[in-house]
Amino acid sequence: MTIFSYTERAGPRTEEAAGLSVPWSRPSPKRRGVSARMISAATILLVLAAWALSARLQLVSPVFLPSPVAVWNKFIVVVSDGFVDATLLQHTVASLGRVFAALVAAMLVGVPVGLAIGISTIGRGIFDPLLEFLRPIPPLAYLPLVIIWFGIGEPSKILVIAIAMLAPVALSTASGVRGVSQERINAARSLGATKRQVVRHVILPSALPAILTGLRIALGAGWSTLVAAELVAATRGLGFMIQSAAQFLVTDVVIMGILVIAAIAFVLEFTIRRIERALVPWAGRE
Amino acid sequence: MPHLVLDKISIHYDGYPAVERVSIDVAGDDFVVLVGRSGCGKTSLLNVAAGLVTPARGSATIDGRPITEPGSDRAVVFQNDALFPWLTARENVAFALRLRGVRPAERARRADELLALVKLGDAGDKRIWELSGGMRQRVGLARALAAEPQFLLLDEPLGALDALTRERMQTTLLDLWKASHAGVLMVTHGIEEALVLATRIVVLAPGPGRVVRTFEPGFARRYAAGETIRAVKADPAFAKARGELTDAIVEGETA
Repeated sequence: MTIFSYTERAGPRTEEAAGLSVPWSRPSPKRRGVSARMISAATILLVLAAWALSARLQLVSPVFLPSPVAVWNKFIVVVSDGFVDATLLQHTVASLGRVFAALVAAMLVGVPVGLAIGISTIGRGIFDPLLEFLRPIPPLAYLPLVIIWFGIGEPSKILVIAIAMLAPVALSTASGVRGVSQERINAARSLGATKRQVVRHVILPSALPAILTGLRIALGAGWSTLVAAELVAATRGLGFMIQSAAQFLVTDVVIMGILVIAAIAFVLEFTIRRIERALVPWAGRE
Repeated sequence: MPHLVLDKISIHYDGYPAVERVSIDVAGDDFVVLVGRSGCGKTSLLNVAAGLVTPARGSATIDGRPITEPGSDRAVVFQNDALFPWLTARENVAFALRLRGVRPAERARRADELLALVKLGDAGDKRIWELSGGMRQRVGLARALAAEPQFLLLDEPLGALDALTRERMQTTLLDLWKASHAGVLMVTHGIEEALVLATRIVVLAPGPGRVVRTFEPGFARRYAAGETIRAVKADPAFAKARGELTDAIVEGETA
């Protein structure tokens, strides 16, 4: 599952992704009185109902498919009492900490690399093949190597997530840099800007929307790498919680963990879109 | 007085000659306008003066110094304003001052002066996307003037505007030319616009670009001396000049 969700997320080109950040490029949500949102709500309710019904009728053994109510009760228990020596909050904080540490690392490396690719031929020559090599490799494939080289501690986990995030950040930045209008650069140069000033005052802010899109894609990729990163020698984290629950066939915790991971991914996506709108209010209005 | 000289300039694109041996001379109090049909190399010549295009032959100099790269002594205003959307109107105007390390309070003061000069005194805090096309072009002009250039290079600055806004912007351009003491080299498609604004009109013909005629209409100086643009345009001499200029452009095309 991790492998598939990773490659799916790494696939979309940044141009498409940039289009998504323009709010009115999407089809109108209203259609003949029924909004897409209402249809989505109905779909979710239908899935929940099917789940509740099949649990109720015991079509599948409760060991494999606990009822929604059982999962909810388990959620309450894990929030208050915890599971494998940590509460849900502690697991979540551990996972979020790893993902954000990796995000910072991916930004510190990825944004300069993306700038180098977008600005200079030498930079593109150096980094393009490396990124294209790295991009399609699933995290589970390089996880063993990272452990051999860097041990089973926290740095390895962060590194695995950061590697998954690096390509989206760098490639988005590069495409943003290449998309900067030549007229804007010429205007700045004719106002007396040096090459360095053009990069700092024109190229970087022009590429900011694309950089933020890259961060959003990277956060998604990193979050879906989480379970893989917490496979080995973790004592806390949502991925670790699911792993341990699966080993003892505590299916309700597994399902609850999946739902929590999904919910947090949703909140992260929503938050970063809000940040994008606040930082780049000019997107789509130029 | 500063002198911008393009001397026997030839420009090649991919080996094909786009402009052949064109000479243009802009003094510090000139308003020189380049006209001619598409493909005659007007914008290419402007870009040579800007330092954005290197000519195949000929020399481009300011007071004898060769032009090799863009510089703030020759501020360019493009057809699409090329403003920075992450900055307010005031910060856009202050951009050249910021590059030079002028202190924030001082550059805000200068920017507000320039915004007042282009009649946008109360738009300093506006974001670029809140401004109309004409207002954006005014910000673009103020931003260019902030660099205190010796020459303003205008590449169809009014090309994207509607007719009424264009007319108002023409007076603004003349006011700025008078106030800034900068020589102007401008490219336009507008025949009336050229006549109203120019102290000298250079008519170019395509294939490859070359000078076919030069006019020295006096209308801009008459505006500078206090006549309104409406009055100038109503003068029969203006209609006559417009006919001559149109003929020159058309002849150049078929020659």
